[in-house]
Amino acid sequence: MVDSRVGRLADVLVNYSTHVEPGQLVLLETTPLAAPLLRELYRSVLAAGGHPHVRLGLEGAAETLLTEGSDEQIDWVNPMRREDFEQADARIAVEASSNTRELTGVEPARQARYSRARESLRERYLERSRLGDLRSVVSAYPTIASAQDAEMSLADYEDFVYRAGFLDRDDPVEAWKELGERLGSLSRWLGERRTVRVVAEGTDLTVGVAGRTWIPCDGKENFPDGEVFTGPEETSVEGNISFSYPATFGGRRIRGIRLGFEGGEVVHAEADDGEPFLHEMLAMDDGARRLGEFAFGMNDAVREFTGHTLYDEKIGGTVHLALGMSYPESGGVNQSALHWDLVCDLRAGSEVYADDELVCRDGEFLVDVR
Amino acid sequence: MRDIRVSRLAGLIVEYSLAIQPRQILRIDAPDVAAPLVLELYRAALAAGAFPYSTLSVDGLLEILLEDGTDEQLTHVSALQFHEIETIDALATVWSETNTRSLSRVDPDRHARFLKAQRQLSNRRWERISAGELTWCGMLYPTNGHAQDADMSLGAYEDFVYSACHVDEDDPAAHWRLVAASLRNQADELESVRELRIVGPDTDLVVGVEGRKWIAADGRYNMPDGEVFTSPSETETEGEIRYTFPAIYHGREVEDIRLRFEGGRVVAAEAARGNDYLQSLLDMDEGARVLGEVAFGLNYEIDRFTRNILFDEKIGGTMHLALGSAFPQAGGSNTSGLHWDMICDLRADGEVYADGELIWRAGRFVRAPEAAAPEPVEAELG
Repeated sequence: MVDSRVGRLADVLVNYSTHVEPGQLVLLETTPLAAPLLRELYRSVLAAGGHPHVRLGLEGAAETLLTEGSDEQIDWVNPMRREDFEQADARIAVEASSNTRELTGVEPARQARYSRARESLRERYLERSRLGDLRSVVSAYPTIASAQDAEMSLADYEDFVYRAGFLDRDDPVEAWKELGERLGSLSRWLGERRTVRVVAEGTDLTVGVAGRTWIPCDGKENFPDGEVFTGPEETSVEGNISFSYPATFGGRRIRGIRLGFEGGEVVHAEADDGEPFLHEMLAMDDGARRLGEFAFGMNDAVREFTGHTLYDEKIGGTVHLALGMSYPESGGVNQSALHWDLVCDLRAGSEVYADDELVCRDGEFLVDVR
Repeated sequence: MRDIRVSRLAGLIVEYSLAIQPRQILRIDAPDVAAPLVLELYRAALAAGAFPYSTLSVDGLLEILLEDGTDEQLTHVSALQFHEIETIDALATVWSETNTRSLSRVDPDRHARFLKAQRQLSNRRWERISAGELTWCGMLYPTNGHAQDADMSLGAYEDFVYSACHVDEDDPAAHWRLVAASLRNQADELESVRELRIVGPDTDLVVGVEGRKWIAADGRYNMPDGEVFTSPSETETEGEIRYTFPAIYHGREVEDIRLRFEGGRVVAAEAARGNDYLQSLLDMDEGARVLGEVAFGLNYEIDRFTRNILFDEKIGGTMHLALGSAFPQAGGSNTSGLHWDMICDLRADGEVYADGELIWRAGRFVRAPEAAAPEPVEAELG
């Protein structure tokens, strides 16, 4: 039986997130694992008058390229992908993997090389997004592999995923608009602050945000969504942070990451597990040691850690920091081929100060920003 | 468990069929059910120094387009698709399907409109292939859907497919190089023939082939392969033919077709089943009643009818004669929206005469071209 929530997800992605209009070229990117959602997306794009263009990833190709390919082959950027990003009016990318750790055995340096080679592609894509020429949303389809990461049955995980997207509610789009308004108020309030300081066990970190723009995220670029973020001042970050959650990134999982910052730069980095990979990512380029993003997770329908960044970074009561590239619309200027979100849970005991005012305790905002 | 025959097939396609060169861009078109073969093709292309990528499809999308799409959506060909056809150096097409009948219920008119629009792409693709700018090979990855059509288990069907491709052997490319030489000799011999007469049960048909070029299908464009074909004279076909195997067009079967030709054109046609469909296809356009191809199937590993033209037309001991569009490279000039291969089993009792001389009996050339090979040296006789 087809899960009716799959159709609702497709409808929201096509008609709310990317708002497909007649005649538009719409890239649908996923893997064959998400075929049920892909078919619904395809149907919704047609109904909206768009032209769907499907790009399906081949599972195992990345691992094969990274282990068997030459440097020249790893550096090769498919001209068809460049053309995709030049021509498309909208893009819906849906993560769906059979094995979230498939790249664990790959040499980290080759993975870094692969990311560097594709930086120009991503820059062009972000540029067109910024100009409003390309509306793009990243989502995920519940797979057995993701359920396993979340330590859930597939059925429980599906419930989690669709709840996180408000798809169990009567009017999901209305719910996203409401959250968007609340996040908009918070963003404006945060936009008038100069520093944010996070204090928790193993963490005392101060981030300069003066003059930066906070962006409310209401399901247009990520789905599900629910965060406010900015690009910190590049040289302002000072102190230490200990990430309570493991980070699943680049097809592997790294546990117990601790970072020390001076003058905005990571000067100390360690991890309980996967430390060589962490060091290789930090060495990817000049910008990889600086923060490109600082954000508060604001989705209260996401409560539990599931090992998938798309959801974890939205958990209400968390903050996340991304190493590497910043989004220019936030005022950030850091450039890097890396953008790695790391999530820290604040709910177990923490304080967040904005310009020395306590604004958030144990993950709950104390300020009324309405 | 990994099936070694899949990686051998991939290696054969990349090294022999497509002869991939370093830095060439290879696109692999395939349905998701063929993923194991796609990954091996990808791996083999990397090993050859190429830049491979795949465009996968999943079941059901075309049906949705044909059902829900507006006329504009149905006939839309994006700039991306044109760009790709211009940019790639090699193309591997895996024809496998999960359900070989998934289009059975779609509106034929809408399907025809879709195909017509897509022809802009396929015409350009063929132009580039003919100009030597693009290499192409079509193949099949065995699926349950195809096994079911062949009345076989998946395991038995896999054996059938891989033995037809000779990838159950250590060095399939060496085999295909031998096949290529032998087919070339056969084609050369047929080149001097003016007229073929095919005689079998309810069949006595004369086909003019003078001045036409015979082409050896040796595994470069199809895998498996193994036929020699040409496009016959458009006006000289005379007589009757009865097709023993069902003829399949766009997934629909027509059984026991009998055709009578006069002056190159079908003047009478009947089928035991699917007669209406047969008549409608013959009336498709001017060229639909004229032969576009005559060919000898010469792959003797393919020993049965499996309802898949990639294999059926190569069954060793059969001939196929296609109604509709001809091959310009063979000297044919017939044009039609139709190209419908119909297969005639000549293995039990069939004879073919070339300008009056018996050249083929019971599914074999009487004088095999291999006989023209040099005499064995004494040491081998010793």
